[in-house]
Amino acid sequence: MRGVCIAIAILALMPLNALGQGDPARGKKIAYTCTGCHGIPFYNNAYPTYTVPKIGGQHQEYLISALKAYRAGERQHATMRAQASTLSDQDILDVTAYFVSFNEEDS
Amino acid sequence: MRSSVARSTGLAELTAVVALVVATTGFSPAASAGDPQRGLEKSQVCQSCHGRTGAESLMPSYPILAGQHADYLEHALKSYRSGARSNAIMAGFAANLSDQDIADLAAWYSRQDGLSDLSMD
Repeated sequence: MRGVCIAIAILALMPLNALGQGDPARGKKIAYTCTGCHGIPFYNNAYPTYTVPKIGGQHQEYLISALKAYRAGERQHATMRAQASTLSDQDILDVTAYFVSFNEEDS
Repeated sequence: MRSSVARSTGLAELTAVVALVVATTGFSPAASAGDPQRGLEKSQVCQSCHGRTGAESLMPSYPILAGQHADYLEHALKSYRSGARSNAIMAGFAANLSDQDIADLAAWYSRQDGLSDLSMD
């Protein structure tokens, strides 16, 4: 029983990306659309006006929660909602796995 | 044909010069008037979750802030402050920040090494 509790505690503490979820190679294909804005340095968001955020090397768990919040309409952004609504849970895992790997490829 | 090649070469050179100016001066089209040193001083409470430079987040669910665009960071903090973006933890912190505080914090974190743009190679 004690062993089970410890195992559950360890699982609960594991970050999502340590579970090896997402295929960055497939994610790279999905990310083609994303680079239309996130791949252009200092590209401006139309409204409200601010520079499109950098997402290369961002934490996967944060990116997953952001995409799901856009998809659910909890985070307000027309373009990102439209983009995220086309993504399945697996797509989100794969594309975020690619974003995370980006800094490693780049450096 | 030759003139179109010459034109595109000129454009490539111009793009390279602009990229060099951006890279060397840190010039941003939407540069804010934040003071990075004051931002560091005001970031004590932020550091406990995001780390000193914003590259050492305590949890993977907390975003890396280091190297993010200053005006995007300002947009995010103001959205938390107004409630447009809902997050129980961030709402509490952002509620206490003035526009100047936000500009200073954004100036600090945006100048650190961290995030990058995507590119298709």
